[in-house]
Amino acid sequence: MSATATREAVAETPPDTRGPTAREPMAILITGWVSIGAAVGGTLLLQLLWALAGPEVTQECVAEGVARDFTGAGGVCNILEAFRSRAETIVLYVAIVSGAVAIAAGFWRYRIMPTKRMREQCIAGGVLGVQGLIVALALLWVRQAQLGTFVRVFFNIEVLEGYGGAFLQGARNTLLLAFAGEIGGIILGLVMAMLVLSKRRVVRAPARVYINFFRGTPLVWQLLVFYFGLALGLNLDVGAFQVAIIVFSLNTGAYAAEVFRAGIQSIEKGQMDAARSLGMSYMQAMRYSIVPQAVRRVIPPLMNEFVILIKDTALVIVLGLLASEYDLLSVAREGYSATFNSTFFVAAAVGYLAVTLPLIRLVNWVESRLRSGLTGIVGQ
Amino acid sequence: MNEDGSLVRLEAIHKWFGALHVLKGIDFAIEPGQVVTIVGPSGSGKSTLLRTINMLEEPTEGKVFFDGREITDIRTDLNKVRTEMGIVFQAFNLFPHKSAVDNITMALEKVLKVASGEAKKRAMEQLEKVGVAEKADAYPEQLSGGQQQRVAIARALAMKPKLILFDEVTSALDPELIKEVLDAIKKLAEEGMTMAIVTHEMGFAREVGTRALFMDDGVIIEDGAPEDIFSNPSDERTRSFLSHVL
Repeated sequence: MSATATREAVAETPPDTRGPTAREPMAILITGWVSIGAAVGGTLLLQLLWALAGPEVTQECVAEGVARDFTGAGGVCNILEAFRSRAETIVLYVAIVSGAVAIAAGFWRYRIMPTKRMREQCIAGGVLGVQGLIVALALLWVRQAQLGTFVRVFFNIEVLEGYGGAFLQGARNTLLLAFAGEIGGIILGLVMAMLVLSKRRVVRAPARVYINFFRGTPLVWQLLVFYFGLALGLNLDVGAFQVAIIVFSLNTGAYAAEVFRAGIQSIEKGQMDAARSLGMSYMQAMRYSIVPQAVRRVIPPLMNEFVILIKDTALVIVLGLLASEYDLLSVAREGYSATFNSTFFVAAAVGYLAVTLPLIRLVNWVESRLRSGLTGIVGQ
Repeated sequence: MNEDGSLVRLEAIHKWFGALHVLKGIDFAIEPGQVVTIVGPSGSGKSTLLRTINMLEEPTEGKVFFDGREITDIRTDLNKVRTEMGIVFQAFNLFPHKSAVDNITMALEKVLKVASGEAKKRAMEQLEKVGVAEKADAYPEQLSGGQQQRVAIARALAMKPKLILFDEVTSALDPELIKEVLDAIKKLAEEGMTMAIVTHEMGFAREVGTRALFMDDGVIIEDGAPEDIFSNPSDERTRSFLSHVL
């Protein structure tokens, strides 16, 4: 059975018509890889070796303005010394030379290559050479600057020690704000979309006002006014965290309403005709025919909105949150205030990316899946 | 039935789309058991006329009566009226997120409040009748055009309507799939179902119809027995149209 499956799989693969390769294009491609590999991989490898070699505060390092006695001086010095080492010099010059060779050979020779594969290898080698050359030249230029303070302030990983728990809680709060805001926003958005699609002006108008107001004013303004103005000013018994969730719901609701409206309008008119011709009311037609189809179409844009909302939750930094309510950025600011070291903000960025990058990949996957027909999504 | 014994009666129907005058005074009635075929050049208002019968298009002027009620009266419950009158569309308009059988049971359960088991039974009977019972669990995208259209016919039939409207139901089909749909309609005609059929299939219109209408430019030009209209048209426009399509 598996043999049959394999044969079928082979039969379904279109023939490879790119033709054979040869030594010269292969050499150009490899030279390109060497260039970018040396510039990026070589530099990272040297950093790793120095980091593993153990902290040692050298004279050169002190001369660059790194005092011996602060937390993490050893780690900062390792970064600096790996970067200033002779090995790094060699790595960068290898990258520059091989990059230049790959560019020259690749872009000069690709026209006369007899097969598609060879041509593509020449071009790929040249492009990789360009990338390696740019990275290597940039690193070479940075190396000439006074780096002590820069590395100390942004890449002193040791100052983060003891903040792991706070960052985890920050990440949890960030996700909590984003999820709660998104769920509230989706419910609100669906209702508003239905109102905005009404043929009656008196129904449409208030929904339009709401949507345009929340789309037309800055989110940070909404947070400030709702918290300091409404919650505190009117002396309501709600905390900053709850206000933030309400504002994120209201704001997301306005954008989600437009997404749903577009999704509903994209469903063919015939679907409404068919549902109504079977005796369904307008609301039944919406509920059983139009909305279920529209929801599938709006999943990718809504997920994009969610990614945006995750980042926008950082705006709660303007509110007076309790320490237990701190989101990622607030935790970073807290660490920064205690140490005057910006490595905390770098760590916060890593935290956001850890959530957003997989989500962005997921959105792209869902989109490509939806684009290739409804298969697999229809049957749910 | 209406007071005059007809099932549907249209009185002085006018329809405007913006500045476009599409129906220019239509008066006609369909008797129970009649199979009325409506032919004519494109843009002559055939589909609009058909859609005014179940009020998917609301006439700008005039009255529509169905089974003893004036359905152009704003107080009439159109949702109720439409359960007694099926329509099959050119583009099938099946619900793509529902399987063939669920396409049929949806309105039975949600509108007619038929119990789920009974609805399924009725749906299968109708799928059987149009010959796509083995595709009951397939989704519309997995069906050929001809199969989709037959499911759409089954969906209309399952409501047990007093009248079925067919709006150019074979126009979106590949030639080899047209016959299976026409055969399903023919079978209904033989069972005595009252139908109004807008079509471009002249041979079919002549064969299946008990009565034919020829429309041009928003008015009914000829109304009579199919053999008279197709073999011996009295109006110059009908003659010209038929000489182009036959």
